[in-house]
Amino acid sequence: MSALATVRGIVVRDLIRTTRQKSRLVAGLARPFIWVFLVGAGFNAIARLEGGLSYQAFAYPGGIVMAALFGGMLTAISTVYDREFGMLRLMLASPSGVGAVLAGRTLSATIIGGVQGGIVLACASLAVRLTLPQYAAAAAALVLASLTSATLGLLVAARLTSVENFGGVINIVLFPLLFVSGALYPTAGMPGPLRTLARVNPVTYMVDLIRHTFGQPAEFALALDVGALVIAAVAAFGLTAVLFDPEQRFVGRKPAADSRQPMANG
Amino acid sequence: MSPVEGDVASGTAPLAIHAEGLGRDYGTTRALDALDLQVPAGSLIGLVGPNGAGKTTAMLLLATLLGPSRGRAWVFGQDVTRERVAVRRRLGLVFQEPSVDGLLSVEENLLFAGRLAGLGGSAVRAAVGRTMARTGLGARAGEPTRQLSGGWRRLADIARATLHRPDLLILDEPTVGLDPEHRDRMWGLLDAERRERGATILFSTHYLSEADPADRVVMLARGAVVADAPPAALRAGVGEQVAEIDGPGADTLVAELRAAGLVVMAHRAERGWRVGLSGARERVTELAGAATGIARLALRPPTLEDVYFARTQAPVAT
Repeated sequence: MSALATVRGIVVRDLIRTTRQKSRLVAGLARPFIWVFLVGAGFNAIARLEGGLSYQAFAYPGGIVMAALFGGMLTAISTVYDREFGMLRLMLASPSGVGAVLAGRTLSATIIGGVQGGIVLACASLAVRLTLPQYAAAAAALVLASLTSATLGLLVAARLTSVENFGGVINIVLFPLLFVSGALYPTAGMPGPLRTLARVNPVTYMVDLIRHTFGQPAEFALALDVGALVIAAVAAFGLTAVLFDPEQRFVGRKPAADSRQPMANG
Repeated sequence: MSPVEGDVASGTAPLAIHAEGLGRDYGTTRALDALDLQVPAGSLIGLVGPNGAGKTTAMLLLATLLGPSRGRAWVFGQDVTRERVAVRRRLGLVFQEPSVDGLLSVEENLLFAGRLAGLGGSAVRAAVGRTMARTGLGARAGEPTRQLSGGWRRLADIARATLHRPDLLILDEPTVGLDPEHRDRMWGLLDAERRERGATILFSTHYLSEADPADRVVMLARGAVVADAPPAALRAGVGEQVAEIDGPGADTLVAELRAAGLVVMAHRAERGWRVGLSGARERVTELAGAATGIARLALRPPTLEDVYFARTQAPVAT
């Protein structure tokens, strides 16, 4: 019961914080729409896609994943803010322990990523025709994609020491994950090395899974997409549990390996 | 044998804190050497010492948030490394900077803290309502904490730490940056925790007058305990009175007082000498009256600040 209360506390707090950071919410939702409807409008004229799909229809699953990925990962990575500004130590002092803290943050990031992706999914009729069962299947796929995004974000946060690195994380982690995934253009057209990277990129399987639910041509079997995402989520969470250092908040890191100093005065 | 077994056997009250040689290194830096501490339940204990003395490290070790490099410690008989969950259930923590989320209202922060402490359902709402009424935060329940003054934010932090009625409160410099009114209000709340529930309080501070009401003051310097006694005993240890002496002839006068066997402790600071004296007051005034080059001489009762300088600073020879 204690752990459940802790998980609930973390989820409720994260949801409140998200609704009060309106500019972040708007930016998170605007990003996929800008890509699909502004950039996509231009690409519609030049893209020749399998099955006669318009570029906007092709990019729509990628737009949903983009919203879920940024929403889920950034919420999870906000653990770094909590570490820097003192809220994480409060959570770590909970009797429920680190596991409940990580589980709570994973759940809240999954919900936030899922809701952001869900809003984009709800607007899908602007670019594609979907049946109700397809919407339902895409929503289920979105839950898995958001969960995987959340655990990947948590993994990044496990060893990130400062919020100063936050912008860098978006540029060197989130954008490459998205660009090398088939979200914005087919992986079939990528150079060999990038295509190999795409095959080990969990985001590739998120996009491919949503394509399945949309009835669009997919690169992998449905079971492979689901399996890859489940494995990625479990592995990322497990790795986070191993790498997460509960003492990190209290001990500053300096260049030399053995020069860790207490951060507080005394 | 854990302290609880020992206490039961001897028929004495259980110790809220029992540390034996507790220490922590950060790489090659020894932040806390070997803390030996016994705190009976219900006590108010002040932890003082210079920056870097090991106060925060000691508190984090007792709060189970750091692992010790050596030694052991128990909170109400439970091992801080092996029984962390049980220890945390009985702890309320206040860190140097308030741990409240600025985007959340006061009430939302308290609900968050209550759930972290394991309170669920109606229990957490009841605890939050009770705490807001007790702390006077009810009128500010809906305000985002980032809009509160530093004093009210700290009170919200104290409310957060006491919400689940912990048996042991560990407070790391809780009054930093507070005006006298908020300091007074904060100590009022903490006094009530002791009086009404018998809570044990371990706090650190740089405002030494705050440590005066404590049952015991533990002084740390360079990672080691240099004094551990009731404030009155500590004050008595530096002499019957303290002379503050400044001016070009101060060194000579201190040497004469020393030669006369009147000096218990002497500390030279930027603003002159602080000399603990024992013996006849007349002899002191006689020597002082004969001295030349004294710009300032004041005799007063000893304070904990005098003890602090005597115990935590290196001795000075005249």
